[in-house]
Amino acid sequence: MNSPNPAIIRMEAVSKVFFTDEVETHALEGTHLEINQGEFVSIAGPSGCGKSTLLSILGLLDTPTDGQYWLSGNAVESLDRAERARVRNREIGFVFQSFNLIGDLTVFENVELPLTYRGMRAAERKQRVVAALERVGMAHRVKHLPSQLSGGQQQRVAVARALVGEPSILLADEPTGNLDSKNSEAVMELLHELHHKGATICMVTHDSRFARAAERTIHLFDGRVVSEDETGSAEVQ
Amino acid sequence: MDTLLQDLRYGLRLLAKSPGFTAIAILALALGIGANCAIFSVVNAVLLRPLPYRESDRLMFLSEREPQLEGMSIAYPNFTDWREQNTVFEKIAVFRRQSYNLTGSGDPERLIGGQVSADLFPILRAAPEQGRTFTSDEDRPGGNQVVILSHGLWQRRFGSDPSLLGKTLLLSGKAHTVIGVMPAEYQFPSRVDLWVPVGQESGQPGWQQRGNHPGLYGVGRLKPGLSVSQCRAEMDTIAVRLEKQYPQSNTGNRVTVTPLLEIFVRRIRTALLVLLGAVGFVLLIACGNVANLQLARAATRYKEIAIRMALGAKRRQLIRQLLTESVLLAVLGGALGLLLAKWGVTAILAASPDSIPRAREIGVDSRVLEFTFLLSLLTGILFGLVPALQSSRPDLTESLKESGRGTTTGRQRQKFRNVLVVAEVALSLVLLIGSGLTIRSFYRLQQVNPGFTAQNLLTFQVTLPTAKYQQDTQKINFYQESLEKLDTLPGVRSVGAASGLPLGNNGNQTSFYVQGKPDPGPGAVPLTEIVVVSPDYFRTMGIPLLRGRAFTRQDSKDAPKVVIIDESFAERYWPGEDALGKQITFGGHDPKSVMNTVVGTVGRVKMEGLDTDSNRVQAYQPFTQNTYNGMTYVLRTAADPLALASAARKQILDVDPDEPTYNVRSIEQIWEESVAPQRLNLLLFGLFAGVALLLAAIGIYGVMAYTVMQRTHELGIRIALGAGTGDVLRLVVGHGMLLALIGIGIGLTGAFALTRLMSTFLFGVQATDPLTFAVISVLLGSVGLIACYFPARKATKVDPIIALRYE
Repeated sequence: MNSPNPAIIRMEAVSKVFFTDEVETHALEGTHLEINQGEFVSIAGPSGCGKSTLLSILGLLDTPTDGQYWLSGNAVESLDRAERARVRNREIGFVFQSFNLIGDLTVFENVELPLTYRGMRAAERKQRVVAALERVGMAHRVKHLPSQLSGGQQQRVAVARALVGEPSILLADEPTGNLDSKNSEAVMELLHELHHKGATICMVTHDSRFARAAERTIHLFDGRVVSEDETGSAEVQ
Repeated sequence: MDTLLQDLRYGLRLLAKSPGFTAIAILALALGIGANCAIFSVVNAVLLRPLPYRESDRLMFLSEREPQLEGMSIAYPNFTDWREQNTVFEKIAVFRRQSYNLTGSGDPERLIGGQVSADLFPILRAAPEQGRTFTSDEDRPGGNQVVILSHGLWQRRFGSDPSLLGKTLLLSGKAHTVIGVMPAEYQFPSRVDLWVPVGQESGQPGWQQRGNHPGLYGVGRLKPGLSVSQCRAEMDTIAVRLEKQYPQSNTGNRVTVTPLLEIFVRRIRTALLVLLGAVGFVLLIACGNVANLQLARAATRYKEIAIRMALGAKRRQLIRQLLTESVLLAVLGGALGLLLAKWGVTAILAASPDSIPRAREIGVDSRVLEFTFLLSLLTGILFGLVPALQSSRPDLTESLKESGRGTTTGRQRQKFRNVLVVAEVALSLVLLIGSGLTIRSFYRLQQVNPGFTAQNLLTFQVTLPTAKYQQDTQKINFYQESLEKLDTLPGVRSVGAASGLPLGNNGNQTSFYVQGKPDPGPGAVPLTEIVVVSPDYFRTMGIPLLRGRAFTRQDSKDAPKVVIIDESFAERYWPGEDALGKQITFGGHDPKSVMNTVVGTVGRVKMEGLDTDSNRVQAYQPFTQNTYNGMTYVLRTAADPLALASAARKQILDVDPDEPTYNVRSIEQIWEESVAPQRLNLLLFGLFAGVALLLAAIGIYGVMAYTVMQRTHELGIRIALGAGTGDVLRLVVGHGMLLALIGIGIGLTGAFALTRLMSTFLFGVQATDPLTFAVISVLLGSVGLIACYFPARKATKVDPIIALRYE
């Protein structure tokens, strides 16, 4: 079933309930959301408001309890495990707070990973990885292990990994959460620059400074969207 | 392929990064795979590989049987009738072993010869390395005296002299022309130095009697396309025909046809298959341990797996990667295992060289390599699959969080680890009980009273050549003179000689009639072991004289014939009566046969071996009244019997410088050889059970240590709330012992079912011996307790403040 709206992401009445020891926790309730091609959206809200749950559902890491979700016009809630893996691989790029690079793989191998799972030939993989690392200014560190890099450098590698597969959307979960202010700003600048070049970005953050860097900020509270701001400034200061 | 290489590269990097884990896992797998590979290389050589003759599946072994005696040797006239009347064999041949004295050049030497039909070589498709094999003219009475040498003898004794063909050798006093040399790999009958045609012997009067079975056995090659059962049916038809024709000698006689390979392996097949099962258990236990290690390691890789999935890895891609790592580990373990197996097989053969047939063929060939490789792959999949399946289903949201540990399936993993430990304990228990049973069996065997005193007895054999010692008096004089000379040796307490010693299946069997008892009729004539002995034999051996007297010098060749019987003979034929003075005849029932008067009763001895008793009665005759060409001397010595070997040899050479002594051994050595197969079982079972016990203990320890680590927070809370040392010990040990006890329960059930397979090689102990089951269960339970205690002790030392911060 296709959505009438050409938005990259469209959610209607999405809910997520966790059941633990006979206790129901409503992490999301009736959430509506649309993100269009080329938009930079941030999701803000206090701790425990459902930001990460929303991002997990957006990234197909988790499934909603109820509601509908279209990604690039395709309904995804009925996809099986293998199809979800394929969509994650081709349509979504993740940037995590804790970078989530694999410690035993080099910078090159970490960035190469999504392409490997796509079954791409080695020569093409190499070309794409080098290009992605050049975009984030890390092409000179290809043989380094993550442990040999600073936090900021690791996050830039993580961004390169998110970009390398040319996804429809970049999902960033507190991308500056583990960085000092200087590195945080550098990463935000990088995202900003990517957005200017046409990338669609959805970022979760609790830092209002960085939330304002997005064109639009969606505020969550107790699992509900309580407001939306058209910031439009996209300035990072 | 590209991805596989990537997975392999990454796998190698991970293994190199955790050298401790890698070393332990590879060692455990190497022990498991190595044990399997070692036993499989024996199974391969002994049971699976065809005999080294072309189309060897068509080769059959032939023997006779009668109701009282399975596996009886073949009477020569029966053989010639079979040869003429059968239509199922291309050819049949007979063979037997016979020793020869090689004299005339250098020191006299005792050689083992194979007396064989000329057709034996074509049947086995065996060609000589040099010269030729026998012609049918040479294989009949009066044929040219010819000999074929083994490669070993030709090399050792004649320096591989190429001009030896056509020259003559003096064998037991008769000149034989060398006509051929067989290649080194030709070994039939096994361990012989030379071959002579058997047909030349068949002219002797004794050989023409159908009641005489002179140690001949047959080999035949089936015609193509015929089955063993067709062959058996025809040979039995021939036997029935001969029975009608010769009722006196052939009543009840049938032909036993057995595939030749079966003859070599039937004694050891069950033991080998049980051992293969045992090492399979060892490997399963090793797999359990490595799977446990993998699960513990997987917990530390949860985040990595989640990242890979978030980046789009499909589950099968992850499983493939994890399995590649497992298989890599297993292949490395397999490579080390192969080395261990090579050493292991060498050690097994060195420990017990004569216990395994076809031992010369045991080695690592392509089939063993394939087996090891496949086993390694399977092992890798076996211990890697469940951890891979479990690891590849992380909770992505939880795992990718900053502090996420992805523990939502932790309970499931713990359950699987518990199952692994229970399985390890159960498998170990089965192996340990198997081992316990072999120990008990061996102990019982060693406790068997052989009927004589085994300490300080030297034995050796002498065989007098018929060409030189044609008359009985010559032989009697030789034996008497040599016995007297040996008796004068310092350190010798007494000397005796016998035609066959106990514990070696060395006796002869003959039919007999008891005077005054009804004629049992053809086919029902009883058999007795018959041993020809010197007067001091019983005293020297320590066989107790129960009634009457031993033989004396007065029991000479021309004196009235006398016999000494064993206690079972007396009890069976004269129950409640005094056997002394009773009379029996040996051989065919003939009213004119010479009567032998019973002059003594002695204790029963174990003729065949410690673990077998044929139930045949035993009779002894003086060597003066039934004179054999070969005798085994026994010397009771004051100290180490082998120290007297060269002095004894010199005394024999003093009597006749052409008579070599051979098979010089102490009785204790013979005893050891007779229990060698049981010793080998004991050794191997003990070894494998020991490894199993160690692995199981490591398994329990590993799981409990991991559990304590996982429960540190909980333990911290408990201690903070006032739990004492005893409470924590009880908690942890209780959990571990519960697993151990469940494993023991399952293991007992398994052992009850499986140890029955061992019953054929157990002696004096039931396969379900309750004492063994109980002791081993307690032993394993105690080991489990110790393995739980150390992690439990660590748990008591948990600092609640640190533990509560730990979460």
